[in-house]
Amino acid sequence: MTLAIVLVLAAVISLAFILRMAVSRGLESSSQQIVPLDVAAFRNLIDPAEDEYLRSQLAPNEFRHVRRERMQALSAYVQAARRNAAFLIQIGQSALSSSETQTAEAGKRLVNDALLLRRNATVVLFRIYVQQAWPDSGRFAMPVLDRYERMSGSAMLLGRLQNPASPVRASAHW
Amino acid sequence: MLQAHSFLWHYLWIVPNILLIVLAAILWLRGYGRRFPVFIAFALVEAVGQLSVYAADVAPSVSAENFWRVDWASILTEGLLKFILIGEIFAQIFNPYASIAKVAKYLIRGVGVVLVLASAVAAAFVPKDNPNGLISGAHILEQTTYFIECGLLLFVFLLLYYFRLSASRPTFGIALGLAISSCVHLATWAVIDNAGLSNATRVEIGFLNMAVYHLCVIMWFYFLLVPEKVAEKPGGSLPPNNLELWNRELERLLHP
Repeated sequence: MTLAIVLVLAAVISLAFILRMAVSRGLESSSQQIVPLDVAAFRNLIDPAEDEYLRSQLAPNEFRHVRRERMQALSAYVQAARRNAAFLIQIGQSALSSSETQTAEAGKRLVNDALLLRRNATVVLFRIYVQQAWPDSGRFAMPVLDRYERMSGSAMLLGRLQNPASPVRASAHW
Repeated sequence: MLQAHSFLWHYLWIVPNILLIVLAAILWLRGYGRRFPVFIAFALVEAVGQLSVYAADVAPSVSAENFWRVDWASILTEGLLKFILIGEIFAQIFNPYASIAKVAKYLIRGVGVVLVLASAVAAAFVPKDNPNGLISGAHILEQTTYFIECGLLLFVFLLLYYFRLSASRPTFGIALGLAISSCVHLATWAVIDNAGLSNATRVEIGFLNMAVYHLCVIMWFYFLLVPEKVAEKPGGSLPPNNLELWNRELERLLHP
């Protein structure tokens, strides 16, 4: 009997969710707006040098507190970017049915980019929550910069090989 | 009125299936064969399967044992086709978007494996409601297939919700009808299998199943044959965005 109750409850909750989605499908409004986000401030928050500086200047307790606050700010940024992406998915999808090929293509590109952002943002948020729980567990942005520096070096090498007169500076674009 | 072999009982068992065959024929004639080949096959096989079980039930020459064999064959065939149909729905919704198509495919495969295992565990706990293994087995099989089907469809809807994607009207309609049917059937078969009901109550629950199935067939007619009202959309270009920049920043965090 317990199994019956569990399965009936699961079926009812699933049905309620699916019906709610079906009803809201025709009622979606575009009252939402894109929230402008400062990428430079975001970069500052993920900069491992900033973290290192704070670690060297603050007592461990203070550092943990500040780091948690920085993580909260970071998660707020990522959540806002995720919401923006949701809004852009709706706009992009409405452009998919456009009779103009260029608009439809641009719509598809927009939806793809926004979907990728929502997917990435979810994983990043998960990592941020883990970091918030264990602020001392390491800096997840550090390996990023290491890799970026390696990539930058490779790009410069490639640039020199292709055109010895003008080396490529990939880092300038970031 | 809610008795086996009443007028309503005959109506609910025959009419939705005939309607489903008509729908499959109309879809085929309208050229939907390429777009929804599995749904058309499903509609035909489901209808023929259900009508065969009906014929086996009312024909005096068919023994009880053979009736259950026909029922088994029908459940297995329909179950298999429904899973292929869910695959078609999934592909219609997510394949056009390269950025999530692959991850969505991995996710649904994982969910599928979990659902198969969970349904097997649930089946193991079902008390044997009939000494004849053919009958109790058919009941458990119903619960198991609806369990997996319901879980997979719920996952498709969850992904749609999470990514704020909207499926095309026909695809959404097919998924919605299938989902409503599977949720209700899961609940009713869970009660039939586990609650030790009397035969009269089981027949009444059977009416609920048939009525919901009829409703779903009508929904499929509506979603697949009635064109969507296209709202006037303001023209112009898409809004400027810095998605690529944000994706680069997030990728930096994710793929060190």
